Amino acid sequence: MALRDDFPILQRQVHGHPLVYLDNAATTQKPQVVIDAMNDYYTQSNANVHRAVHTLAGEATDGYEGCRTRLKTWFNAERAILTSGTTEAINLVAHAWGRANLTKDDAIVLTEMEHHSDIVPWQMLAEERGVEIRYVPVLDDYSLDMEVYEASLEGAKLVCVVHTSNVLGVRNPLETIIQLAHDAGAKVLIDAAQGVPHDRIDFDAFGPDFMAFSAHKMCGPTGIGALLVRPDVFEEMEPFMGGGDMIQTVTIEGSTYQTNEHKFEAGTPRIAEAIGWDAALGWMEQLDLKHEHKRLLEIARYTAKELRSLGMTVYGRHDDQDSAVVSFLHPTLHSEDLAHLLDAVGFAVRTGHHCAQPLLTRLGISSTVRASFYFYNTMDEAKSFVAQVKKILERFA
Amino acid sequence: MTYPTQLVELIEEFQDVEDQMERLEMVFEMADEVVVLPVDSWSDTTRIVGCQSEAHVYVVLQEGKVLISGGADSQLVQGLMGILTIAINGSAPAQALLLSPDFAQEMGVLNSLSPSRSNGFRNMFDKVMLEIRGLEA
Repeated sequence: MALRDDFPILQRQVHGHPLVYLDNAATTQKPQVVIDAMNDYYTQSNANVHRAVHTLAGEATDGYEGCRTRLKTWFNAERAILTSGTTEAINLVAHAWGRANLTKDDAIVLTEMEHHSDIVPWQMLAEERGVEIRYVPVLDDYSLDMEVYEASLEGAKLVCVVHTSNVLGVRNPLETIIQLAHDAGAKVLIDAAQGVPHDRIDFDAFGPDFMAFSAHKMCGPTGIGALLVRPDVFEEMEPFMGGGDMIQTVTIEGSTYQTNEHKFEAGTPRIAEAIGWDAALGWMEQLDLKHEHKRLLEIARYTAKELRSLGMTVYGRHDDQDSAVVSFLHPTLHSEDLAHLLDAVGFAVRTGHHCAQPLLTRLGISSTVRASFYFYNTMDEAKSFVAQVKKILERFA
Repeated sequence: MTYPTQLVELIEEFQDVEDQMERLEMVFEMADEVVVLPVDSWSDTTRIVGCQSEAHVYVVLQEGKVLISGGADSQLVQGLMGILTIAINGSAPAQALLLSPDFAQEMGVLNSLSPSRSNGFRNMFDKVMLEIRGLEA
């Protein structure tokens, strides 16, 4: 299969068995073009960006800014700030927009479904500024309680919501959430870390004010991500980190700042990572994302159905817009034990609370085993996975 | 480093096994070696923080020798606790403190010994050693 051939890591063996990588919601594997692009940068063009006139500096700058240009085109966005990932992007909103625009008694709306990276920065800001946080509950069918959501918008300044749950794979009704928030005068931040790997989002048409995501969950390198911001909201943001590259002038008396995205990218940026991400997006251009998403959902649905027949509780619903994530638990065999036993035969899955403890508390559990599928995964791998789980249960449960 | 004889024998036994699943099964069986700490004695003091499973350990000195008891809802974590029990129960505190956690990797039962939120064994080992140091002081 040609697509799988692009990923050298899929050739490796783990404990004498072919690797079956099902931990894609944590991070995805990298195609050879990404590895080559980063290697080429370090072997041919390594230099700092923006500040020098020599050839290498020009190539490095073009490579770094090329990533930004690609992101703007891919997502139809006017402003793309490069960050270290989703977490830094959300923290940037909290510091650069939140501190400048939120005061005591303002309210922020979050959901019980959020990743810790979309909870903790707001708790820190709430503690500092006396901002109120309101949480939208998750219902038994894994949807958000939209009645509570609507009521919570009264006087709210910001809504922060996860595009797709990293635990459940559930995609939230974002179009409605954004519309209602805007009608109530609130800004919207979407944590799209699990959304962008499957869905080519038109940021401008989609309509949030901020959208945060990471490269490494879409075949790019770790250590880089982005914050897309609507142009009018961009103007409401104050600098967060001070340093080189974000300034226009510095005098003993004070400094003036850049007016573009560089204003929020102090210091030497992640140049190789940006070049790698650009290559990853270039590689993804060849895929029919809608077709791939449908194929992966079929794999997830098959896996969920088979795991249920083995006595597992499966969390999530796998509707058409959800992602191919299957979180499950066995009534007696501990999730950590199952993950170790699966690793013994080459299957990489995730266990734990997946950095979403409030959601797991809502579900009445402390961990799940999570199998998450991506472009290079096949139905044969899913069948083999189910067969191994069955064997393990027969031997250990 | 030099390990206690009973641990050396155990390491060799594990190293003789090539199949990882079989090796893990052996760890599971070591769960029976744990001196059971009844569940109603589990508390925040005995909890191994940073372990994915609910795991507890209690360390005392009995006639000057280390005695650890514990339990976990993960068979693997309790099995690793069993191996630690074989390695240090009945040792003088000073001798127990010489033990390095590397033995778990040498046995081929763990992929990583780096401290992390998912490394139950490492967190358990560090807690036991901290408590022995406290008892020794």
